[in-house]
This record gives sequence, C-alpha cells and structure tokens, in this order.
Amino acid sequence: MKDLLKGSVLPRDNDSARLLHPTRRDIPGRDRMRRFAHDDEVDMLVIGCGAGGGVLAQRLARAGWRVCVLERGPFWDPEADWVSDEAGSAHIYWNDVRIVGGKDPVQMGKNNSGHGVGGSMVHYAGYTPRFHPSDFETQTRDGVGTDWPITYRDLREHYARVERELPVAGQDWPWGDPHSYPHSPHPVCGAAERAWHGAIQHGIEMRVGPVGIANGVFGNRPHCIYRGFCLQGCKVNAKASPLVTHVPDALEHGAEIRADCMVVRIEADASGKATGVTYIHDGKECFQRAAAIAVCGYSIESPRLLLHSSGPGFPNGIGNAGDQVGRYLMVQGAPQVAGRFPELLRMYKAPPPEVSSEQFYETDPSRDFARGFSIQTISPLPIGWAEHVLADGHRGAALREYMRDYNHWAVLGALSELLPQPENRVTLAGETDQFGMPLVRFDYTQCENDRRNIAFAKQTLHDIWESAGAQDVLTIDRYAHLVGGCRMGTSPDNSVVGADHRVWGTDNVFVADGSVMPTQGSANPALTIMVLASRLAELLGRKQLGATHKGAYARAVR
Amino acid sequence: MTHDFTKAHHLPKRRGGQDQADPYDLPRQRRGKTPQMHGRYPDYDVLEQAGAWDEPTRAVVLARVDDVPEREFFTAAEAATLGAFCDDLLAQHSEPRIPVLAFVDAKHAAGKTEGYRYADMPPDAETWRLVARGLDEAAGGEAGAYADIDSDGRERILDAFSSGDLEGGVWAELDVSRAWSVVTRDALTAFYAHPWAWNEIGFGGPAYPRGYARLGIGMSEAWEGEEAIHPDPVPDVKRKGLE
Ligand SMILES: Cc1cc2nc3c(=O)[nH]c(=O)nc-3n(C[C@H](O)[C@H](O)[C@H](O)COP(=O)(O)OP(=O)(O)OC[C@H]3O[C@@H](n4cnc5c(N)ncnc54)[C@H](O)[C@@H]3O)c2cc1C
Ligand code: SF4
Repeated sequence: MKDLLKGSVLPRDNDSARLLHPTRRDIPGRDRMRRFAHDDEVDMLVIGCGAGGGVLAQRLARAGWRVCVLERGPFWDPEADWVSDEAGSAHIYWNDVRIVGGKDPVQMGKNNSGHGVGGSMVHYAGYTPRFHPSDFETQTRDGVGTDWPITYRDLREHYARVERELPVAGQDWPWGDPHSYPHSPHPVCGAAERAWHGAIQHGIEMRVGPVGIANGVFGNRPHCIYRGFCLQGCKVNAKASPLVTHVPDALEHGAEIRADCMVVRIEADASGKATGVTYIHDGKECFQRAAAIAVCGYSIESPRLLLHSSGPGFPNGIGNAGDQVGRYLMVQGAPQVAGRFPELLRMYKAPPPEVSSEQFYETDPSRDFARGFSIQTISPLPIGWAEHVLADGHRGAALREYMRDYNHWAVLGALSELLPQPENRVTLAGETDQFGMPLVRFDYTQCENDRRNIAFAKQTLHDIWESAGAQDVLTIDRYAHLVGGCRMGTSPDNSVVGADHRVWGTDNVFVADGSVMPTQGSANPALTIMVLASRLAELLGRKQLGATHKGAYARAVR
Repeated sequence: MTHDFTKAHHLPKRRGGQDQADPYDLPRQRRGKTPQMHGRYPDYDVLEQAGAWDEPTRAVVLARVDDVPEREFFTAAEAATLGAFCDDLLAQHSEPRIPVLAFVDAKHAAGKTEGYRYADMPPDAETWRLVARGLDEAAGGEAGAYADIDSDGRERILDAFSSGDLEGGVWAELDVSRAWSVVTRDALTAFYAHPWAWNEIGFGGPAYPRGYARLGIGMSEAWEGEEAIHPDPVPDVKRKGLE
C-alpha cells in the first residue's frame, strides 16, 4: 500500500504544498497576510524565519496561536530574486561581518548562514539525515561530549512527520534507527555513480539520499530539474526550505511574517518576564509587544541577541547567569577529496547531495578517536572547484589546467563530528554594526580528538578514490554547519535552555533553532532543527511547560 | 602529445611540476571566446544558450561580458600592481583577458563584505591595498613596481606569497597566508564567474528553467560542448563536420 502511494501522500497538518501556485514561484498569501499592531500583544513572537522559526510559526499558527515572525532578511520571491549563477547569489548569504578567531578560525559567509524568509535552508545543499540514537548520549556511551536532556525517542514521531512535509527522498536507511522515506530515491549523476562504485570496491555501503527534494507528485511543488544550483537557492521550488514547506501554511493560518526587521533586543523585566522586542526596520526603531518569544536566529545570532539583551534582571544577558550563552558552539570538520576519471562526469548536473554513507558514524574502538563521521557526495560549481584546486596548492597555469579538467572529476566530502568545548564560543566584540549592535566574535579551536577524526576521514576518502581507480586526487580542508551556543541541558550551570527550550531564568523566552543542540553527530543538522521546533510546538500546545506566565498558553487553547 | 583526455598525463601533479602545463597546444577556440582563446571545448560557446536562461540570470551573466565596471576603488598604481598579480595568479598572459581586477574593484567600491573577517586582519578592502603595497615592496620598489619586474621575479614573489613566506615591511604587520586567502578568493570568484571561463572548462552554465536530462557517466545534453580530442584542429574539424 505504501509503495502504491509513494510520491503522492501529503502531510495531514500542513497544506503548504497544495497552497503553492501550480506555475508561479512566489509564495501565495503574502498580499492577504494578517498584520499585528505594535501594541497588540501577540501570543508568540518568533525571531528568524529559518529551519527552526519557520516550523515553529507554522505549527503554532495552525494551533490557533497569534504568531508574528520578525525576519532580518527579505521575503524572497524565487523567480525574481534568485539566479541560476554562483557569483550572482552572494546576496542570499548573511554577509554582515562576523569576527573569527581562535587557532582554527571558521570562515562564515557563503559557507555558513543565510537570511530572509527560509533562513539558511534557502541555500543549504538539501541533505536531510536523522541523528542517530547515540547522539543523545555520547557522554554515557563514549565518554565524550554530553548527554541531551531528551532522547531520540522524544523526536522519533516528529522525524517521520517532518520527513513527510519536506518531503524526503531516499533509499531505505540502514543506519541509526533504520527507517524508510516517503519519496523514492532520485536518479544519480555520473560523478555520484563513480563515488558509489568506489565505495563498494572499498567495502563501504552507500545509499542514495536522503534529500529534501520532491521526487514525484507532491501537491503543487514542482519536480527537481537536476540543474545543480541547490546551494544558490532553488528557483524551481523543488528543494525544501521553510519558504515553501511551512510558510504558505503559516500564512494561511493567520501568522504574520514581517520581513526586513532586525531584532536588536529582547525587553524583559527584572522578574524574568519578557514583554516584547525592539527591532529596526528601514532605519527606524520599533517595539513589538508579545506574550512569549522564540529566538530562532541561528547559532551565531541567537547567542548574540541574548548576550546583547542585558537589563536589570540580566546584567550579563538573558539566560547568561551561569556564563553559558554562546559556549559549546560546534562545526563539523568537512574535508573534501576529489577524484579524476577518464570519462566526462559533469558534476554540475543533478543536486550536489546524492549518495551518502553513515557506516563510520559511531565510535569504533579500533580507531584512535571517539565518535565518527559520515561520507557524502558534493559537487562544487566552477568557483567552488577553483577554491578546491587552489587549496591543494595550484596556481597560475597549473590551476587553469586542473580547472579545464573540471568535467572529469567527482568530489566526496566527510562530515566529522567535532566535540563541544566551552571555549569555542560567541562573544560580543567592541565594534558595532549598522544597527548599533556589537559585532559578534566567534573563536574556534579543535581538540586532539577532532584532528584525529578529520585525518582519518580524509584518509578514508582517499582510499575510496584509490579503490575506484582515480587517476589523480585533490584535497581541501574545510568546515561545515554550525550548531550549539545556547545548548539544552539540565541546569543553568551547564546550559542555556532546559528540555522544554525555555531559557533558564525567564518565564516566556524560548530558543528553537540549531543553537540548542548539545552535540551534533555527523549528520547535517537542518532536519533535526526542524524536528526540535516541531516537538517544542507540541509541548506548547499541550501546555507541558510548567510556565509561571500563563498568558500565551491560556490563549492557545481558547 | 596527443589529446587523449581519458588519460591524465596532462595534469600538473602527473607531470611532476607546477609550471609545465602548456595549454597552447590545445586547439584555438573556434566558437565564442575563452581567456587567451584556448580551451578544451573549442566548439562550445555557453553564451549561445542565453536564450534558454531565465531573465534575472541572463541579466546578471551578460552584464559581466557587456558592462565591465570602470576603476573606482583602487588607485592607478595599485591597479597596475594588482592587475599584474591577478594575471600571474590566473596565468592570463595574453588577450583576451577576463578583467578580473575590474570586478574586484567594483565589489570593494560597493562596500560588499564576505560575512567574516579574521580577528587579526583588517577589512578585506584594506587587505587588498596592503597587498598591493607589499608586492611592490617585495619587488624592491615604488608603487607599481611589481608590474615592472620580469616574470621570473614575479614568479618568485608569488611563490613566497602562496606559501606564506613574505617578510618585512607590510608583511610584518599582515598575516601572509590569510592575506593570500582573502585576495585569491576574490580573484578566483571574478574569473570563474565569467562565461568565457565556462567555455574553457565546458561548464553548462545557468540551467533554469531548462534543467538537465542526461546525467550519466559520459553523457551530454545535445547543446553541451564536446571535449577536444586532437591537438591538430584539422581532424577535429573534419570529424565534427565543421568544414
Ligand atoms: C552551504 C551550506 C550548505 C548546507 N547544507 C546543508 C545540508 O545539506 N543539510 C543540512 O541539514 N544543513 C545544511 N546546512 C546547514 C543548515 O542550512 C542550517 O544548519 C540550518 O538552516 C540552521 O537553522 P536555524 O534555524 O538554526 O537558522 P537559520 O535557518 O539560519 O535561520 C535563522 C534566521 O533568523 C534570521 N535572524 C537572525 N538574527 C535575527 C535577528 N536578530 N532579527 C531577525 N531575524 C534574525 C536570519 O536572517 C535567518 O533567516 C548548510 C549550510 C550551508 C551554509
Ligand atoms: S537540482 Fe533540483 S533541487 Fe537542486 S536547485 Fe535544481 S531543481 Fe532545485
């Protein structure tokens, strides 16, 4: 039965795919969108319309909450605002300067976060793996990192639900908690075929997917056209981002999404009750009243905003009594190794995410480090490929020669789980930005376990290409993904929020984005961020929060 | 040497040295332009596909060919040095050249940033100016000196720059490796954003709304370029029926 219905099942509690226009690409419902007055106390004010904020807004709006989302970037129209071009897409990234330091500084910009309705998922690659059950208890199992105050079981139903909403396409998944996907796997391009073949030769299992890209009929969401520009924003609307997967339904249920609004402070009284937020729109300062606030601004901006929102009850920032805000920020080590083959592979075709393996995800006592990594195909476009070639040490005529050879190459990447450390953190720098907010500073230094993990992962990628008979290889070291910074825990001494996402010491401030993650596994984070927001919405709906401030929750069940 | 690109002996690592790659025995570009008019796909001009692109993309890409920005940010002397540096970095030693520095200049004239800055570095735009000074110092002279020394001298400076080995003067203040990463990122972006470079490497370019249908190993869309197969253009031209 399930096979018969493959590709046609729509989610029960989210009509976004049906609400989209069958041929136009802009998001329906903007013209009729509800508008809240500044002095109207909304039930939930969501800061940021990305992976976490988009899902939370949709869920709560559907449950009857009066939801207002403030988003710093534009309300994108994929047809008019995005281009099928690498350099022409710089405007979709978060380009305000962030200062990076530490011994292993992390580059931000195009390899990091986005802005605008849809958040960083506008330009994410589209991989949507689940976390493994082990990710929630790495301290107990492996003696590293920390345990989450929740387990995989708390999220399991939400994984299945969000996978149906994106929808996720892929083969049956054998790793972690084995599961299958609502859409069948996409066809793969020549480059991914090469990688897959090499992995098999080397004794490594790979599977097609999982990607948040419709494969078959799914309401009015178009099918993928295999044009390969996923990291530049999908003009087709085939790739999942909250803009197409949750925003249409949120608008339909009365949410307001106010774009081009940069929140600069959360206003709270000394007792821990937030009253609203101050934000900048068109250079003007405004205040929006709210009964509750969800901070969903990404792992850099969320801690920055909490740190900047100091006040009588919060001299060092909201939720920062235990000096935890901004700490335990994590990136994944993401080395890439390219292999050269006789045939034309033209890796620019098809989505860059195609085939992946989680065979090395868990701790293996025969290796000299704890935890593991995953392996995925990645297919850089020409500028990305040039950075790869340069990083391997080539310039001038040699660089041009490798570049001319572009169509003969395939690229594999690893995602190494790097461990959470307190000194890898966000702080406020001395300079201020155009909004009068202090710039953020992000320091990052790897530990020994991290270095070993990355080195082993890189060697494994080399071995795969060797087994595949690659004629030459080129390597680049990089990072990917950024989570943590407002981590979830059991007390204000070890975390910023509790298992219910509520910021310690406040009544009605929540964090619901990637920053709440205490560990990161070696899975790409977006799906799990959405899933956490989905669970929080369920808790709020059920009023299982033990909150002292009743307003919002009372109204929700009106 | 014949052009059998199923083999990899033309690749720099397989040739045992950085400098030996010689594109000049590739056929001359017969359709459209490539930088220096050599390339792997002599009969492929991605710009002929512009009619299949969506309007916003077409506007962005064609502007790179048709509206080269005037110099605004760099001084004439800085531009001389940095222009020579970009030519060396990208081996653009003859016309037609992709005007790399013009696009870098336009980016910084518009105050565009990359979303981050190393804690020990000045803003990127300032780094470019410092690099201009530093290259001239390394060339042992006044503003613009780098452009005037011979190619061996420039090659030595470039080699030291890329391996983080420049010292003294500007370089005492500026982290050499980070400066290298800042300027090369901008220069590579400008070069490989240009459709002439796509012709050279056989990249399909923008692909909306048409998309791709032939994804497998060795497969091409009807309009995608064929790789040159022989150094002598005559048999190549014959085989493709271009006479
Ligand atoms: C190149 C690239 C590829 C990636 N590929 C993948 C992938 O394949 N799979 C995967 O799972 N993940 C991927 N990611 C990561 C993924 O996109 C992010 O982890 C995820 O989107 C983060 O979700 P979030 O809710 O924490 O923040 P975001 O999605 O970034 O949303 C935060 C939103 O808040 C807004 N905001 C921030 N501060 C404020 C403020 N003060 N006021 C108002 N609005 C504000 C921002 O503009 C933004 O829209 C990729 C990322 C990049 C850069
Ligand atoms: S490859 Fe598919 S999902 Fe990616 S941008 Fe193109 S149409 Fe969208």
